[in-house]
Amino acid sequence: MSTKKLDAIARKSRARRSTKIVLHNGLIALLCFIWLIPIIWLVCTSFSAYPGKNTSTFFPKEWSAVHYAKLLTPDTVNQFPTWFLNTFRIACWTCLVSTAFVLMVAYAMSVMRFRGRKSLMNFAVLLNLFPGMLAMIAVYFTLKTFGLTNSHIGLVMVYSASSGLGYLIAKGFFDTVPRSLCEAARLDGCNEAGIFLNIVLPTAKPIIVYTVISSFLTPWMDFVYAKMILNAGISANYTVAVGLYKMLEKSLINTYFTQFCCGGVLVSIPISILFFIMQKFYVQGVTNGAVKG
Amino acid sequence: MGGKPQAYPRLRRRPDNIATILCQFFADFGKAMAKGDLFVKLTLIWWGAGCLRRKQYAKALILTLLEAGVIWFTCGFAMAYVPKFATLGTVQAQQVFNMQTMQSEWNDYDNSFMILLFSLFSFVVWAAALVLCMKSVIGAYRLQFDSQNGLHINSFREDLQEYLDQKFHITLLSLPVLGIVIFTLIPILLLILVAFTNYDQQHMPPTNLFRWVGLTNFATLFGGGITSTFGYAFWRILGWTLVWSFFATLTNYFGGILMSLLINSKLTRGGKLWRTLLVVTIAVPQFVSLLLMRNFFANTGIMNTLCERIGLTAALRSAGLISTSYIPFLSAPGWAHVMIILINIWVGVPYQMLIATGVLMNLPSDQLESARMDGANPFQIFRAITMPYMLQVTGPALVTDFVKNFNNFNVIYLLTQGVYVTTNQLMANSQAKEVDLLVTWLFTLTQDYYNYKMASVIGIMVFVVCAVFTLIGFNFMLRGDKEGTYQ
Amino acid sequence: MKKLITLILAAVMALSLAAYGSAPAAADQQTISLTLWGAEEDQALLARLVEKFKAQYPDQTFDIQIGVESESTAKDTVLTDIEAAADVYAFANDQLNDLVAAGALLNLSGDVSAVLPNFVGKTLDEILAENGEGSVTACKSGENVYAFPMSGGNNYFLYYDSSKISAEQAQSFDTLLDAAKAAGGKVGMTYASGWYNASFFLGAGFVADMKDDGTTYIDWNGTSATGYTGVDVAKGMSDIAVHPAFLAVADGDLSNQIASGAVCAVISGTWDAGACQTAFGDGYAATKLPTFTCGGDQVQMSCFSGFKLMGVNAYSKNSGWAVLLAQFLTNEESQAARFAERQLAPTNLKAAADDAVSSNIAIAASAAQDVFGSVQNVGGKYWDPTATFGQMVATGELNGKDDAAIQAALDTLVEGVCAPVE
Repeated sequence: MSTKKLDAIARKSRARRSTKIVLHNGLIALLCFIWLIPIIWLVCTSFSAYPGKNTSTFFPKEWSAVHYAKLLTPDTVNQFPTWFLNTFRIACWTCLVSTAFVLMVAYAMSVMRFRGRKSLMNFAVLLNLFPGMLAMIAVYFTLKTFGLTNSHIGLVMVYSASSGLGYLIAKGFFDTVPRSLCEAARLDGCNEAGIFLNIVLPTAKPIIVYTVISSFLTPWMDFVYAKMILNAGISANYTVAVGLYKMLEKSLINTYFTQFCCGGVLVSIPISILFFIMQKFYVQGVTNGAVKG
Repeated sequence: MGGKPQAYPRLRRRPDNIATILCQFFADFGKAMAKGDLFVKLTLIWWGAGCLRRKQYAKALILTLLEAGVIWFTCGFAMAYVPKFATLGTVQAQQVFNMQTMQSEWNDYDNSFMILLFSLFSFVVWAAALVLCMKSVIGAYRLQFDSQNGLHINSFREDLQEYLDQKFHITLLSLPVLGIVIFTLIPILLLILVAFTNYDQQHMPPTNLFRWVGLTNFATLFGGGITSTFGYAFWRILGWTLVWSFFATLTNYFGGILMSLLINSKLTRGGKLWRTLLVVTIAVPQFVSLLLMRNFFANTGIMNTLCERIGLTAALRSAGLISTSYIPFLSAPGWAHVMIILINIWVGVPYQMLIATGVLMNLPSDQLESARMDGANPFQIFRAITMPYMLQVTGPALVTDFVKNFNNFNVIYLLTQGVYVTTNQLMANSQAKEVDLLVTWLFTLTQDYYNYKMASVIGIMVFVVCAVFTLIGFNFMLRGDKEGTYQ
Repeated sequence: MKKLITLILAAVMALSLAAYGSAPAAADQQTISLTLWGAEEDQALLARLVEKFKAQYPDQTFDIQIGVESESTAKDTVLTDIEAAADVYAFANDQLNDLVAAGALLNLSGDVSAVLPNFVGKTLDEILAENGEGSVTACKSGENVYAFPMSGGNNYFLYYDSSKISAEQAQSFDTLLDAAKAAGGKVGMTYASGWYNASFFLGAGFVADMKDDGTTYIDWNGTSATGYTGVDVAKGMSDIAVHPAFLAVADGDLSNQIASGAVCAVISGTWDAGACQTAFGDGYAATKLPTFTCGGDQVQMSCFSGFKLMGVNAYSKNSGWAVLLAQFLTNEESQAARFAERQLAPTNLKAAADDAVSSNIAIAASAAQDVFGSVQNVGGKYWDPTATFGQMVATGELNGKDDAAIQAALDTLVEGVCAPVE
């Protein structure tokens, strides 16, 4: 065949391929757009000049950034900067404790072999089957006995104490660490603690990042437990979730709804950044964790 | 006879489940008590005795301190509550106002809930103490055996080192397990016990006492009594919960896989960007995004305004599908059910997409290549290679996701609270709605009606159903133990 | 010598007596710590009022913490943990029965009422008599008083745009709807809530009450004291609902509807006064609820009278001082200050007689409607079934022409509401 004809065929298939690419990416773009519509609406509403709930139009009648300014200035109802700091502190401590617990439990269940290991794992599955809502009032009174209601320490404990139950993905990851590495370390005279700290943990960076970030997110999102525990009515102690949720009360919603939307946007920015960072590690972490099941 | 000292005799290696562990434990204890010397038997009363005899002074001290702690706990704390466990308190709260001090003075009243909680604490502490005591006896016998047969007895430092080595799992697990016991296990046990009491709004501590009522609440749930009660609502809500869990899990799972395949295909440009955009939807807290969704689909919301403008509402009305001047996306039974599942797809697919992306990255590409070279089209590849691999790897996750969706409180509560009013009178008479899951019903009962006893009964039912499904699911999925495969 | 000894003895005795006498006074110098809960919008006002209270008793040291708790959710927070709740808290009167049943409110008619004559100079009955009768009834459960009345006007009435609807047209629901239709607007009301749709039944002479054992009693499926049947009322409700100018609004969504300009008349309470003023502009007007057609007659719609009360926690330690604080925060000056700051209608008769109060359109309408209202006294099982019934009428699921179906629905409604708590 002549080169001209070959060129023509090549050009045609390239054209077909590029239409395919355009259609394919177009489809993805459309799906992403549909997925983002509510988020776009959230951002638009936060720039509305009207303070109350007006959900009859997509775009606000008047645009203004004044509610962001209002959100960031404290008054008796709204103390967003304080709430943000509170939640940030709680989240940091939660992720420290949660990560430590998860890694400890995952290592014990995965790498070590001891009598009762399987039973403990089955028991953990059993415990997860109970609805968490049920335990709320009992947890409140347990904290009250220790004098930890209305304290951030109490909240940290609520979020992180049972985190050991979420060890499955980390365990899956540890299952893929070659046992030969551990045996070599043992021949060098390392004890189990040494293997944990010096050999296994350094290879677990992806799963550490994953655990850190997932546990960091919980305090930002949870309002049920926080509302129950922070019940002294001192709004300076609230977390962001409780504070924003309280803005939706009937008597306040007319004045604070737009500020609520602004708060939602501001909260999602650091979380999105974290997700972005996490993505790189997340994919690796979950891969190894889930593959080995 | 003579020669090398024997190793401590152990039973043959048996399957490692809770029954054999308990049997072994009691067998060891029995042997220790039968064959132990005086000090071993003394350990039953004074935990440090056996260690003291064998010169493990530090360990003896620690055990003695622990024992003192348990005794102090019992006398000072447990004894104030456990004796009242059977009656759950008899002394009603009474108050007298003292004009002199301008203060109220209270009698020493009983608080039924506290009695329940602290008795449970005590039981757990005593159980742990019993185990520790029996372990000390077994340990004491072990020391005796070792010293009689000339085996090495650990110094304290060597014991500590064991906790960093062979017994490292105990060191690792102690704090997490403690956290789980206090914040998960005890509350769950407590609420199971509440199911057998009459703790509700008429019997609220500290002013009122509640008492044991046995299985009465279960009878109420399963239909005894008036028709328009919990019995009627329970089965319907259970049905919807099962349907919801099934569809939510399946739609999100396949949605995630399909989305992941779409974004990770070779034709995609800028995959990272698309992934990030999708992930932003998860970054907004659910109570913000779902509230907005609720407003979006409200009876007078944007979606309805749009549909009215394009004439969809009128078309549906003439087709007889709706009877109102708006499309009841979230306020009529059939519509709300479908919308909730669809909105849940919006919530859950990005998350599942991330997981699916991770898993699919490990799909052996040579299989895909050879299949493509053999001329298989994308659907055949998907059906024969991709899906089986995904199912094998994330199958167990499907079962846990089913259970998670069974208890998925957020989505349903935030989407329907305040917006959905049921028109089924019998459901309303049990404070339930057609779109309620068992957990949201439970939440309404506890938060709005303080009907803790019925909520606990429902919680137990939730557990039973989930346990059944988990067992079936895991037995179906897991054949053999795959743990060691990749090590 | 003897004289000296006697003198010394006398001096010692006098000194010791003085010391003994001053010991209680010394005890009074202990810090009296109280916690107070009020609405978010009230915080600045409460801080000022608390300072005034402290100034009234200069020889006592107080430590009063003010916390945030909305009056509408006070019950939930208090009942989760009564002992940890504030000593003095404000709540909406519909929560009174639940709080009393759980023992969360101090019985003011008991021994503690003796502090009032001692420190304020009036007895409990005298203090209560300074307030409107409805508000006093709202503070009672049985024969005992459990709270002080703080503000009223928590009922509902009719707001309308006078540029589109005249005052005469607003007198009857039928003419109101026709006028709204002619003006191109709608009339908004929440049907799917037992708080609002009781106005129809109570207006027709039915009752909604609570029995001693905590169960609710309604007779809406029978014939009322004034001779109307439940079916008549339901038909009247249905006729309104099917009118093209009627908009059934979800509970809590009224403010949204007002803001969007969809409605030119709405049945709501004083909390929406601001939103209505903004939406209706110069045409802002409010009046009592209209009459509706029931069994051929025009029957005046009733309402549940709503008040905000201030109560004392039964588990409060310094209960005597807590009662004094609660009384101070609800006396005439405090109520006047509250009106000046937040436009909340005072229950105190003298404060309410003030010109500024009567010229407030919303409060005037609320007071006018209150004449026809009754204090809410229902149990927990009242709400869901009545909301469902209202929803059924609003969506048209309950056909206004089908008497048998209406009667059956009413029977199920009454059965559900009056069911014993299980």
